[in-house]
Amino acid sequence: METLYNLFETLNNLFLIIAAFIRGLFADPQSVWANLTMDVIGFIIVVVIIVLAALILILLERKVAGWTSQRPGPNRLGPRGWFQTIADALKLIGKEDVTPAGADKLIFKIAPMMIFCIPMMTLAVIPFGKGLAPANLDLGIFYFVAMSSISTVAFLMAGWGSNNKYSLLGGMRAVAQMVSYEIPLLFSLLGVVMITQSFNLGVIVEAQATIPFIVLQPLAFVIFVIAGMAELNRAPFDLVEADQEVVAGPFTEYTGLRWGLFFLGEYGNMTALSALGATVFLGGWQGPAFLPGYVWFFMKVGVFVFFMMWARWTFPRIRIDHLMHLAWKVLLPLAILNILLTGLGIYIYGFVMGG
Amino acid sequence: MTVEKTEELIMNMGPQHPSMHGLFRMVVHVEGETITKIIPKMGYLHRGMEKLAESRTYSQFIPYTDRLDYLASPHNNWGYVQTVEKLMGVEVPERAEYLRVIFGELARIASHQVFIASTALDLAGWTLWSYAFRDRERILDMYEMTAGNRMTVNIMRIGGMLAEPPEEFWTALKSFLDDTPEMLEEYYGMFFGNEIAQGRLKNVGILTKELAENLSITGPVLRASGVDYDVRKAEPYSIYDRFDFKVPVLTGCDSYDRTIIRMDEIVESIKIIKQAIRDIPGGPIMAKVPKVIKPPVGEVYHRVENPKGELGFYIKSDGTTKPSRVRIRPATFINIQMLPIVAKGLKIQDIVAIFATLDAVLGEVDK
Amino acid sequence: MENNVLNRYVEELATRVNGEVEESFGVLILKVKAASVTETLKEAKNFPDAPCDFLHDLCGVDTTEHFEVVYQLASLHGPQRLRVKAMVDRENPVIDSVTPIWEGANFLEREAYDMFGIIFKGHPNLKRIYLWDDFEGYPMRKDYVTEPIEVRDVVRKRIEGE
Repeated sequence: METLYNLFETLNNLFLIIAAFIRGLFADPQSVWANLTMDVIGFIIVVVIIVLAALILILLERKVAGWTSQRPGPNRLGPRGWFQTIADALKLIGKEDVTPAGADKLIFKIAPMMIFCIPMMTLAVIPFGKGLAPANLDLGIFYFVAMSSISTVAFLMAGWGSNNKYSLLGGMRAVAQMVSYEIPLLFSLLGVVMITQSFNLGVIVEAQATIPFIVLQPLAFVIFVIAGMAELNRAPFDLVEADQEVVAGPFTEYTGLRWGLFFLGEYGNMTALSALGATVFLGGWQGPAFLPGYVWFFMKVGVFVFFMMWARWTFPRIRIDHLMHLAWKVLLPLAILNILLTGLGIYIYGFVMGG
Repeated sequence: MTVEKTEELIMNMGPQHPSMHGLFRMVVHVEGETITKIIPKMGYLHRGMEKLAESRTYSQFIPYTDRLDYLASPHNNWGYVQTVEKLMGVEVPERAEYLRVIFGELARIASHQVFIASTALDLAGWTLWSYAFRDRERILDMYEMTAGNRMTVNIMRIGGMLAEPPEEFWTALKSFLDDTPEMLEEYYGMFFGNEIAQGRLKNVGILTKELAENLSITGPVLRASGVDYDVRKAEPYSIYDRFDFKVPVLTGCDSYDRTIIRMDEIVESIKIIKQAIRDIPGGPIMAKVPKVIKPPVGEVYHRVENPKGELGFYIKSDGTTKPSRVRIRPATFINIQMLPIVAKGLKIQDIVAIFATLDAVLGEVDK
Repeated sequence: MENNVLNRYVEELATRVNGEVEESFGVLILKVKAASVTETLKEAKNFPDAPCDFLHDLCGVDTTEHFEVVYQLASLHGPQRLRVKAMVDRENPVIDSVTPIWEGANFLEREAYDMFGIIFKGHPNLKRIYLWDDFEGYPMRKDYVTEPIEVRDVVRKRIEGE
C-alpha cells in the first residue's frame, strides 16, 4: 500500500521531479540561466503538445466524422489508419509552395506563422498538472483571451494578402464574427473570476478541489462552449472557411506547408481553448487520486475536443445574420445576467456565512 | 458629412465552386455580404444534344437522354421513348408500362435522395449527405440488377423495356420500400428538423405563385409555391391514371417548403410503386416494333413529370430514320431563371440555399 | 367541350392574324407570321374560358425554307394546350420577344438565338447562352457545317487529289 502510494506520488510529480533535477544541474538553481533553461524547455513542450495534438486530433476528427456518418473513416495506412495524418503531413511538406501573383507577399507569408504562434502563446499559461504551468501568470485568463484574439488579425491578413475575393470575404467574416464572440466569451469567464477573486489559472484550478465550476456556473459554461466554438471558427460557426460559400475563405490560396500551418494552428487553437475550458470549468488537473493530475487534465481536454467535433458533424452552418443575432442579442445579455447572478450569489453567500 | 459607399465586389461563383452542383457559374455582385445582382452563366457542360440527335437514329438517341438528368435517367428515357412511341403509334405491353412506372418512381426517389443529400451538404450538413447516399445506393443496386448500369441506366427501349428484372430485384425492392419511412424520419430528424437548418431555409428565396407561373417554373418548385399541378395528374401519361396517389402541394413558397415537398413526394412514390407491384401483370415487356424505326412525317410534343420538373420532348420527323428536330425542354434550365430574381438583396449564404433547393442538374441545364 | 371552346377561339384568332390552324395528336397548331406573334400570344394568354397562360416551351426549328419559333402553350388550371408556330424569314430572322408576356421566355429565347440566330426584338439580354460569345455561326441551322474548317479542307483536298 505504502509503495503504491509512493509510486503514485512519484508519477503525479514526475515532471516536477524532472524539473527539479534539471535545475539541480545548475550551480545556483534559482539563477537567471536556470530560469531561462526552464522557459525554453516549457516552450519546446508546448510546441510538442501542439504538434502531437494536431496529429492526433486530425485523425480523431476524421474518425468522428466517419462514426457520425456511418463509415469507417481513414483505415488504410497503418493499423486502423493511425498513420494517415503522418502521411498527409508528408504529402503537405512535399507540395509546391505557391504564392499568387497579385498577393501582398509579406502579409501572405506572415499570416500562417502568426496563426501558428497563437496557440503556442496561449497554451503557455495553462497548468497541465499540479505546478505544471509553463508560465504562471497572475493575469492568466486575461492574457489568454488577449492573445487568442490576435488570430482575428491573422485571418484578416491571410484574407487580404491572398488577393482573392473569397479570401477577402472570409477575412471580413472572420473579423465580424471573432470580434463579436470575444465579448460573450470573456464575460462568461468573469463569473469564475468573481468567485475565485483571481485571474490566475493555477488559483482557479486550486479553487475547484471540491467542486468544479461547471456546477456553480452552468450558464457561463454553455455560453463559453458556444462562444468558444464561434471563436475557433468551428462548425456550426465555420463561416470563415465555409467551403460551400467562400470556398475555404482565407485559406483558399495557400498550399503545402503554409496551409499545413493553418491546419496546425486551427487544431492548436482548438486544444488551447479546450484546455482553457477544462481548466476553468471542469476542474483542470483535479480529479480522483488514482490517476496523475496531467492525465486527468488531458482526458478533460479530450472530452471537450470530442464534443466540439461531434457538434461540427451534427449541425449545419448558421447564417451570418443569425450568427450576429446570437452573439449580441442572446449570448451577451445572458453573460451579463450570469455576472449579475454570480455577484448576487457571492453577496448572499458572504452574508449567510458572515451572519 | 459625406456618406461613403463601399465598392461593389464582383465575384465569380463557379464553374469550379463546391456548391454549384457541377459546372454552373454565376457572376455575383455583392456589397459586403448582400447580393445586388446575379448573372447566371451556363454552357460548361453543353454537349449539343439536340444537334447530336439529328445525326443519330431514333434508338441511338436513347443513351444520350440518360445524360440529361443523370440522377434520374430512367425518367429521361421514358420521356423520349414515349414521345417516339406516340409519333409511331406503338402500343406498349401492360407489363412494360408497370415496369416503367416502377423504375420511373424509383428514379424519383433516388433523385430526391440526392437532392436531400446535396441540400444538406450545401448547408454544411455533412453527415446527412452520407446517410442519403447510403440509401440511394440500394436503388442503384436495383438498377444494376436489371440493366447492368448504375447511373446512366438506359433501361427503356422504344416499345418496351430492356430487360425483365431478376427475382432478387423484387425482394430488394420490397425491403427498400419497407425501410423508406424510417429513412425519411431519419433525414428529417437529423437535419431538416434542426433549428439552424430551418433558419437557413425558412423565408429564404420566396417565389410567389404569380412569379412562378410567369417564369414557366415546373415541378416540385412550382408545387411548393402553392400551385397544384402535376403532369401525372393533369395529363396522365403511361398508366398513371390507374394509381391512387396525392400530389403534395405546399404554400410556403420558400426554400424550406421546396425541401419538404420532396420528402412528401418520396412518400407518394412509394405508394405508387406498392400499387404497381400489387397489380403488375405477366406477359411480354416489348411490343412488336420494326427493326428500323421510321416514324411517319409529323411532329409531337410530349412531357413527363421528371423529379426536377417537367421534361418535354418535341420531335419532328421527316419520315426518315433520323429525326429532323429533337427539342428537349429541360426543367431545371428554366427553373434556374428564378435565381437572379429571388436572390436579390439576400446574403451570399442564401444563394447557396436557394440554388440547392432548385435541385439543378447541370446535365439537364446544359444539355 | 373544353377543346371545342378552345377550337373556336383559335379559329377566330387565326382569321384575325391571318394564320392557319392544324391539328396533330390532339393538339391545335396555329401557324402565324412572325409579325403577329405578340398579338397572337397575348390573345391566347387571355382566352376567356380556356386561357393558354403557361409558356411551356419555346424553341427554334429550321425547316430549310424558313425558321419557325415554336411556342408550346398550356395552362396550369385546365387541360387546354396550344402550339403556336411563328414563321421567321431565314434571311432576316427577326421576331418580337415574348419576355414582356412571360418572363420565363428569357433563357429560352437566348437559347434559340444561340442555336439559330433568331433575333428577338425587345429581349432584355440577348446573348449567347450555351456557346461562348465569339462563336461563329449558329449550330442548329441545317446548313451549319459541323466539321471544323481545317478538317473539312483536309478531306476536300484529299478527294480532289485522288
